[in-house]
Amino acid sequence: MADDGDLLCRSYADRGSEDQFFDRERHIRYLEMNYQILTSPYESQEINHLTLAYFIISGLHILQALDRVDREAVIDWVLSLQAHPKNEAELNNGQFYGFHGSRSSQFQSVDNGVSVPNNSHLASTYCALAILKTVDYDFSLIDSSSISKSMKHLQQSDGSFMPIHTGAETDLRFVYCAAVISSLLDNWSGIDKEKAKNYILSCQSYDGGFGLIPGQESHGGATYCAVASLRLMGFIEDDLISKCASSCIIDVPLLLDWCLQRQAVDGGFQGRPNKISDTCYAFWVGGVLKILGANKFLNERTLREFLLTCQSEYGGFSKFPRQLPDLYHSYYGFTAFSMLQETGLNSLNIELGISTIHHTII
Amino acid sequence: MHGRPRKSATPVDENASALKAAKIRSLQSQFLQNHHNNIYTKEAQEINAKLIESNPEFMTAWNYRKLAFEHNLSNQSEVDKEDADHIKLIIDEELRVVENALRKNFKSYGAWHHRKWVISKGNSSTERELRLLNLFQKQDTRNFHAWNYRRFIAGLKDISDEKELQFTTDMINDNFSNYSAWHNRSVLLSHLLEKKVEGYFPKEIFLKEEYELVRNAVFTDPDDQSGWFYHLWLLDQTIKVDMPNLVSSWPPNGSEITNTTFPIVLFFNEPVEGVNLQTVSVQVEDDIFKNIAWSPLSANKFKCGQAWLTHLTIPFGETNSSKIFQVKIRSEYSQGIISSNGVPCSQHWSIAFRVSVCHDFQPEGQSLRRILMTDENFSTVDINSNVMDLFKSYFELASDYEQPTSSKWKSEMIASEIDQYRELLSWAECKIGKLTLARLLMANDAIGTPVAPNTTHVEEVLKLYSELMELDPTHYQYYKDEYSLVFLKQVASSKESLMKYCRQYKESTSSNITGPMCLRLNSLSLSRIGSFERLLWVQSLDLSHNQLPSIEGLEALQLLSCLNLSHNKIGSFMALDPLRFLKSLRVLNISYNEIGAHTVDTRRYLCSSPLSHTLDYDKKFEEFAAGDEKVVNFWEAYSVFGGLDIMQLDVVGNVAADERFKLFLVKLLPALKWLDGEEVH
Repeated sequence: MADDGDLLCRSYADRGSEDQFFDRERHIRYLEMNYQILTSPYESQEINHLTLAYFIISGLHILQALDRVDREAVIDWVLSLQAHPKNEAELNNGQFYGFHGSRSSQFQSVDNGVSVPNNSHLASTYCALAILKTVDYDFSLIDSSSISKSMKHLQQSDGSFMPIHTGAETDLRFVYCAAVISSLLDNWSGIDKEKAKNYILSCQSYDGGFGLIPGQESHGGATYCAVASLRLMGFIEDDLISKCASSCIIDVPLLLDWCLQRQAVDGGFQGRPNKISDTCYAFWVGGVLKILGANKFLNERTLREFLLTCQSEYGGFSKFPRQLPDLYHSYYGFTAFSMLQETGLNSLNIELGISTIHHTII
Repeated sequence: MHGRPRKSATPVDENASALKAAKIRSLQSQFLQNHHNNIYTKEAQEINAKLIESNPEFMTAWNYRKLAFEHNLSNQSEVDKEDADHIKLIIDEELRVVENALRKNFKSYGAWHHRKWVISKGNSSTERELRLLNLFQKQDTRNFHAWNYRRFIAGLKDISDEKELQFTTDMINDNFSNYSAWHNRSVLLSHLLEKKVEGYFPKEIFLKEEYELVRNAVFTDPDDQSGWFYHLWLLDQTIKVDMPNLVSSWPPNGSEITNTTFPIVLFFNEPVEGVNLQTVSVQVEDDIFKNIAWSPLSANKFKCGQAWLTHLTIPFGETNSSKIFQVKIRSEYSQGIISSNGVPCSQHWSIAFRVSVCHDFQPEGQSLRRILMTDENFSTVDINSNVMDLFKSYFELASDYEQPTSSKWKSEMIASEIDQYRELLSWAECKIGKLTLARLLMANDAIGTPVAPNTTHVEEVLKLYSELMELDPTHYQYYKDEYSLVFLKQVASSKESLMKYCRQYKESTSSNITGPMCLRLNSLSLSRIGSFERLLWVQSLDLSHNQLPSIEGLEALQLLSCLNLSHNKIGSFMALDPLRFLKSLRVLNISYNEIGAHTVDTRRYLCSSPLSHTLDYDKKFEEFAAGDEKVVNFWEAYSVFGGLDIMQLDVVGNVAADERFKLFLVKLLPALKWLDGEEVH
């Protein structure tokens, strides 16, 4: 360990980007390590265990290395986090029956009459389904109607979604989760699309981007949630800019301007004006451009160069150049390289945030 | 200031880390035990508070606190209930826990949400919240949680927009590159304007001061983008036409046409909905036609479009003599025509034109000769020839129903801005300054004179965009698009400038398909097209040898029968979607494009089939394809060409145009006579 530390300190200095390449092997090793054991920086993220697993498993899939995971064990673990209603009647009690983010938010059901707190969460549910889709689990075995029926209770009168029935902030992130869950389950009964659409439209700011809630300043992540949700719900089409953008429900030219201006001089993407480039926005903003059919306008060469400065010596990507990697930024680094059509990477379904290639895993 | 890390990155030595982990684990298991068994004692709540203060991300712990909080309130003794101070004590304790959590991680969604939840219960001090906010917003001026919370508190406690505006001024004076502050400023000013607060309505009152404020910022550091964004918003506020208007039509007011069946196109300045029998009347002589169906010229499923179309057939009956019919199209209830922002049209308009019907008139048989848009088939237009009549009437009368929209203050404000930014550019090499100046100049031309389009500054604007293409290659394509649009605006601005691009077909080539004249916008390296409102009369259009990836907007040109798009950058059949609406189209050249060169990523449709994506043709296409595996791949081409009567088509030079595809086209287009120069039998 001590040796590794020394090496870490040395290796971040003086690394030019010219001779660098996307180091797939190291990235696989990095994810594999995190698949085996989560390191201490993730202690506080225990509640988001499913999300971390999503980064690892879907990440390995993008890297075409899904054979490194034990498919059956992954499926069993994910399914063990699902909240099940005791009976049909419970589906109307206002609770959400999705997936728990981790073991600690899940209480073992005991039949002593005490109500068991159900903490299943929209984001965890999205990640659970994304993992199951990634490992090619048979979705007909999932009780999708419980998820959809109970998800309906989470939608607010303004169209936004609360992530958990016990109450939390409501914003575009959870509208996106609801849309992607419905899409993966191929069951749209859990969402009032018209209301959700109106909420999303109310979040578009005058500068063209979207804020997480109406009136908030535009943000790369929120913009992705908005555009991907509209696409998933069928309110916008692919390749909008080569079609009739002027009569589209959102202001596409303005959105395009905003997105393109998020590519900073160093080639990376920033999440908001005047912030510094950050690996993950290559996906959030780059993904929006791809959905719009406008990814040809971004400068792929400089983006690539920027991302490579965030590539860690030991695999994975960091938020900013020459820092330590983390799972979140690693995953969005991989997705960004997939969008840049790096060889040896699976292609992405941008709206769903996962790879689309499916093959039988032995 | 930027990129504040969520956690400090100082390395902790392993022992301490293990100790910390053990402590958190122990706290967590005690807490979960309490949560499960609904224990809300003081000790239990303290354990929870400790856990939260070391890990604010632990959502379950926040949920427990809400339950505990409600438990505390409902289990007060009778004496306590009377005591407002006691409630305040409970609330204060909650706020203290949140504050500590925020100090640990001020980007914690859960912590900010809990604070909102507690504050909504009432009994809290506004002052304290603002103090806390000022502290956090000083530490991280861009923290959007804090800005959101600020807007929440301002709304809850009825803090006036003016007061909040002052706060943004202070923040901007502190550091003018704070885009969050500029943003909140625009939100607040929009509120003030909407509510017509004194001093902020009408908008010219505050715009002048705002221009000054932002000028100070951009002149101090022209490379900082925050101020420029705000400037763009101000410019938009200045020139925004507040309601939808009719800007042109086919047939134009005062014109005379000879076809008995013809399209009517209404072209608005922005997409509108609500054009129908109630809002628009069509009157032929004294009869108001009741069987008129308007439809938007737009490919989407929403009942909204910038151009609206209907077809009219003049019932000229049994009379043997020639006759002239007066047709009048009038807004009956213009408030029913509504922009996509929900603003109604309040302008009334009326278009009158004549249709002269000659009973002997027989449409000649449609030509079978191949039509080529090459230089040798054209001659310059004879100004005195009668082919000019319609063209003339379009330009002489088109502006009759344009309302003057200029306001003196607008022109003055923009003129003054132009002076300022010219000055800035005299000492600073600044690309966004150039872009802003280009936008200001175009804005100036747009509001300067209402009747004829003003092109005073076009040359200067084109020069600015050319310079920008050199200066800032990253955004080359954007500048190029803007350049193309401005260039076309200039071309379409007057009869004289358009004449330079019009060619007359030589007698040997001309037919009723081509019309007498062709608008030749070829080899201009255009990457975008626009100004369609002034091109509604075009029958033949040559856009070959440009760099167009898209033909969006072309659907408004309902007379279009010959279109040359060869040697462009059209990347897919879906990019030709506007052609679906051009029912008069007979001759089409899409050769030497990039159709098929970029694979359409059908894998995107993880949960649906490619066919569910098309709009109207699914069923029919299934019948047409009848399970033919090869034809199924052409569904996009089917959806574009399926409803057209194309007689001459060139597709050579596209990756997609192989023999199989040609066979498919022959099957799909029964009227086809020429395909890639060969006669179809």
